[in-house]
Amino acid sequence: MIARDELLVKFRHIASEVAEREVTIPTEGTAIADLGIDSLAMLEIVGAMEREFKVQIPDDQLVGITTVAQLVDLVQRRLPS
Amino acid sequence: MSLDLALGTPVREVGETALQARMYRLYAGFFDKAERERRWNPFRDVPWDKVAEDVPEALCYNAETFLCVEAYLPDYASNHLQVVREVFGQTWFAANWAYEESKHSLVLMEYLLRSGRRSQEQVFDLHQRLMGARWQLPFPTPRMMTIYGCFQEQATFVIYCKQEAFAQKCGDEALRTIFRLIARDEIAHARFYEDVIRVHLELDRPGTLRDIAHVAKHFQMPGVGIVPDYDARIAVMRDEGEIDRDVFLQKVYFPVLKYLGVERAELVRVLAEDRRARAALGNAPPLAPPLPALGDPA
Repeated sequence: MIARDELLVKFRHIASEVAEREVTIPTEGTAIADLGIDSLAMLEIVGAMEREFKVQIPDDQLVGITTVAQLVDLVQRRLPS
Repeated sequence: MSLDLALGTPVREVGETALQARMYRLYAGFFDKAERERRWNPFRDVPWDKVAEDVPEALCYNAETFLCVEAYLPDYASNHLQVVREVFGQTWFAANWAYEESKHSLVLMEYLLRSGRRSQEQVFDLHQRLMGARWQLPFPTPRMMTIYGCFQEQATFVIYCKQEAFAQKCGDEALRTIFRLIARDEIAHARFYEDVIRVHLELDRPGTLRDIAHVAKHFQMPGVGIVPDYDARIAVMRDEGEIDRDVFLQKVYFPVLKYLGVERAELVRVLAEDRRARAALGNAPPLAPPLPALGDPA
């Protein structure tokens, strides 16, 4: 089972890579938009997380995701238990 | 040459000729359908006697905003025609597109005048101010511009549908009809562009995927930077039309990708490759400066 901390670290690394600058996450509740990440960049991050953790998230579940915590939850729920 | 002949003529499909032939057939199909099912007259097909008297100013303001964006037709048409002029089907589509778009500004202007919400002086003063700026091509190649057109028409379709619902809520049957007619044109344009992109995907999938990723990343609506008070106008439209990031993803981005048969993961791969390639070159900047994506909060 992958720990939530590991997911958060991976999120931060991927976000930094996509944004091409160091991204810091004050709290899990931080809005993704507040990190300077637009909707398409968010999709890139999701895609990279899907590849990294070998999960697949349906498009419709990406609608309504606004915070880091929500995105990490989404990936976590898809991981094999 | 009859239309049946045009649609059915076998063309030797070799290289450039193959592309030309396919674009021609796409346009012939588009035009035939438009002639049969979608032609309308701004003076005869709108129930002008059903313009509501007491409607919120936001409704008219939004109609005026659409008029502003549509007013740059001379720039859109001339650029569009030039960028695709070597491909018959796409050039003739651009001419037909300009005709259809010309009706959009015409009917919106008629609405503002007939409803009495704007005077002739106000409308033509506004037009004069708008013409002080020029719209420039946001992307340099025909293929990128086709992809841009596809996202833009799909987004415009969604926005007009939202405004149609708003007009209906306000009881303005005339404006509701106008938005419905325009929305129908916009989605037909989006479908044509999608069909053209599918041909490009068949002929050069990696290159077309790179272009899709690039255009999506740097997309912005055509009124940005040229329509006066654009941000304020969009804020009013968002209030009434509920256009936000999720709507963009749900109604524009995902449907277009699905129609094109492109997986989200494919684009992510392309964007990652692009980043790696630029990093290898010492972090050269992307082809265009990053801009906020459509639908993201202003």
